[in-house]
Parts: sequence; C-alpha cells; structure tokens
Amino acid sequence: MPDDLVASLSEVARTYGGVRVLDDVSLAFEPGVTAVIGPNGSGKSTLLRMLVGATEPTAGEVRYPGATGPKPIGYLPQRIPFRDGFTARETLAFYARLVDDDPDAALERVGLGDAGGRRVDALSGGMRRLLGIAQAVLGDPSLVVLDEPASGLDPGMRERAFRAAARRADGDTAVVVSSHALDLVDAHADRVAILGQGRVAAAGPLDRLLEEHGAADASELYRAVMEDTEAQAVDEADAGDAAGGDGESDDAEPDVHVTGVSDR
Amino acid sequence: MSGRLSGVATVFRRELATVVRTPGYGVLAVGLLVALGGLLAAGGGGATGFVPAVVDLLLPTEALVPLVAVVLGYRALLTDAASGELAVIRTYPVRVGEYVTGVLLARTVALVAVVGVPYAAIGVVVWLTAAPDTGIFATHAGVDSPLLYVRFLAFVLLLGAAYVSLAAAVSALAASRRSAIALGSLALVAGVLGGDLVLLRSLAAGASPTTVPSAIALAPNGAFRGLVFEHVIGVAFAPEGGFVSTVRAVGSLVGWTLLGAVVAGATLAWGRRVDAAIERVRREIGS
Repeated sequence: MPDDLVASLSEVARTYGGVRVLDDVSLAFEPGVTAVIGPNGSGKSTLLRMLVGATEPTAGEVRYPGATGPKPIGYLPQRIPFRDGFTARETLAFYARLVDDDPDAALERVGLGDAGGRRVDALSGGMRRLLGIAQAVLGDPSLVVLDEPASGLDPGMRERAFRAAARRADGDTAVVVSSHALDLVDAHADRVAILGQGRVAAAGPLDRLLEEHGAADASELYRAVMEDTEAQAVDEADAGDAAGGDGESDDAEPDVHVTGVSDR
Repeated sequence: MSGRLSGVATVFRRELATVVRTPGYGVLAVGLLVALGGLLAAGGGGATGFVPAVVDLLLPTEALVPLVAVVLGYRALLTDAASGELAVIRTYPVRVGEYVTGVLLARTVALVAVVGVPYAAIGVVVWLTAAPDTGIFATHAGVDSPLLYVRFLAFVLLLGAAYVSLAAAVSALAASRRSAIALGSLALVAGVLGGDLVLLRSLAAGASPTTVPSAIALAPNGAFRGLVFEHVIGVAFAPEGGFVSTVRAVGSLVGWTLLGAVVAGATLAWGRRVDAAIERVRREIGS
C-alpha cells in the first residue's frame, strides 16, 4: 500500500434490486488526478458515490487513510443539485459557512467572480458545473470527487472545468474524475481506472497503461481495454457453456448491464 | 458560535430563505385566513367573544392546522435527498441531527407565520368587533378574555409543530414527491381520525370511560382538543376541569414532535445502511 494513499476501495460491490452494478472493485487513490472511465452503465457514478460515502457498498470496504481535515471529501454529483431560487454566491455562502471558507474567493477560483449575483437556474450548464466544482473544493478537502465535470459542455468550458479540477491535485490532494472526455483525460490525468461491466478492467498510471497496451492515447487505450474485456466475457461465457450444467456459476455469469442504474 | 450550533444555524438560514421564497406558502396563509374568517362568520361566535370563536374554530382547526403543517413539512427533507444535494451536504462537517434540526426549526418558524398570523389576525378581529351578548355570556358563565385566545393559539402552534415534525419524518422516508404526498395524506388521515377511532373502538370493546381523559391525550388531535377544553373552553364552562391531564397532553404533543424528528434523523442517518443490508439479504436469497 502506498504511503501517500488518500482513499481506497477494497473488494467493494453494489447491487440494486439484486442486479449487480459493481463487483469486486479494488482501487487506491493517491495525490494527483485519477480519471475513472468506462461506458455508460459501467458503474462509474456508483463507484464515485461509494467513494464519497453517499452509497453504502453491499460488500467490501471504503477507507480514507489520507483524507483529513474538517471537510476531508469534496463531491460534485453528475446532476448538479443546487436549489434554483438562490444566487451562485448564496449557494456557495451556505457551504462556505460550514467550513469557514470565503465564497467570493471560491467563485473567483473557477472564473465565476462576475456571476455571483445570478440565480443558479439562470446559469448555463457549464457555469453550474463550475459552481459545483467551486463548492467541491471549499474547505480544502484531501479527496475531491467530481462526477463528469465536463459533461454536456462546449470544448472551451470542458477544458476550463477540467483545468479547475486538476489545479486542486497538489502534493496532498487526490482528485478523482469520471469522464467520457478522453482528450481531457490525456491532458490532465495522472492515473486511470477503466471500468467495464461493473469491474475494473484496467487501472494504474496512464503512462504505464499506454505502454502496456501499446496505445498512443487514452482513446486507443480505452478501445483496447474494452475489446479485451468483451473478449474475456465471451471466453468466460463459452467456458461456462462447455462446463455443462445449468451455467449458473458466479464466475461464468456475465455481469448485467443496466442502463441508467449507475446514475442513482 | 459552537460548531454544532453553527451547523444548525446555517441549515436553518438556508431553509428559512427557501420558505420565504416559496410564494405558495403565502397563498396558503391567505387561504387559511379566508377559511377561518368564513368559518367564524358562518358560526357567529366571533361576534360575541373569544371563547365562542374558539368553539366555532375548534373542530375545523383539528383538520386545517394538520393539513397546513403537512403541506409545510412533507417535502422538507425530501427536496435535498431527491436532488442529490444531501449527498453533497453530508461531505461537510454538519451532522444529520444538526441538519434535521435546522430544517425542522425553519419549517416550524414557517408554521408560526403561515398558521399563527391568520389565527392572530382572527383574534384581533374578534377583539375589535365582538360585542357583549347576554345569551352567549350566560351560556359561557360570563368568562371571556384575550388570554384564553392566546392559550388557544399556543395549543394550535403545538399541534402544528407536531404535524410538521411528523410530516418531515414522512419526507425522509419517502422516495419521491408522489410517495411523499401519499405518505403525508396517510399520516394526516391517521393523525386526524386515528386517535378518536382507536378510542371509540376501545370503549366499544369495554374499556372504562374513566380512561378517556388519559387515553385521549395520546393522539395529537386528542391532546390538542383536551388542552383547549381544559384551558380555554372549560374555563368558561366548568372551572373544575378534568377533561385531560395537562402534563400528559403537552407531553404527548412534544413527544410526537420529537418522535418525528428522531424518525427523520434516523432515516437519513441509517437509510443507506438499511438499503445496503436489504440488498445483501436479497442477494443471499437469490444465490
């Protein structure tokens, strides 16, 4: 186990309505940017929710050996949840009061200094995400977890959102980001965890994974890992059939993909 | 300010700001005022004094105040949970108990405004317009005082606070707005009618009528009614009292309020664990 471990998931699993969404996931999060990538429904949001304690795993353990301070974890959900009737500044002021932070400085950090007086429901999608990032990093948490901070944004805003997140990843802070924006993963991530069918298909430093899979960038790496995962699933299914019986063995059973379940 | 008080105060401010910015609650207060004024005009008691006005309002109050309280509370804790903001709030150093307390306090302050102001306005109207009526005064033993109406108002707010808290518990248990409405309606009907029905059933089953004063205080509506009879209407009718034990009735209303808060807090604190435990059991059964 690395000395500077901030948080870890150890053999965690989660089911919803008996349907397996995550299974046997073990990951360690160190300072720097870790990108969690995978197809829709692969369990990214569920993994991040378990990491911040918003969802209880049905098996396994979540630990925070290096997440300290009055607010050890910062979290931005996939769906920005702030109340519509409040201005951006009022929204941040509520959270800032809980950790004795400065809402105006937080707005400035993400480039929303001039938008503080605008109501949340009048902000663009990108500005709401930036507001969410500003909220997540209030109180200087050691673990910052952002669920698709670049989702639905134009290229400039995506870059801005990712850069704002990556700036937090200093010597003590682990930033965990789920995203489909693989170009931004290339540009900003130190480590990558690729989920496929509710399991970790590959994880580690981005450079090492690129080398191991002979990939030029994160997009190629993602494709290569997904192809391997699908081929492995087919092999396991064939092996199950060849073994005869009723094919109900846990090992042979392919994980069920349930669209939307990971959005919970 | 200490950490815990600061957490409660911060949540309270946000919740109160939300309530103030919800125009529907203002409409609710105006609607209540119109309903009370109409009831008073139809009953005619308001023209003769505070106690007759209370007699006119007592029965409708037992339905109207719980209804308004449930409207104020049924989404109090659901809003943040359903939007996902509660998951964000819980990454901050604010405990579930502080969060629930802050929300409940703000909703109770809203109740004081939405319910207390119309009732107070009715009291002022009675004070300004009531004229002595010998027939009514004879019936009511000649006792009438604004103080009695203030007592009535205090009991109204106690009843409302109990229902706000119970509605907040419902809002913590509900998974969606629709289920919150269904559960809130159920709680409302059970609260308004349930206590009396249980009491009638027990009497029909052979329970002694001497148990009524203690049994009636167990349900929020019964406790409220008993207190109003004991300390408002009964002061005029029967100085010896004996309608209900005051301590028991007040304790009942405070107890229902605390019960709602505890259920709400426990649901938010342990709901995720219970959900995961159910999933584990389901998996065990399925495997």
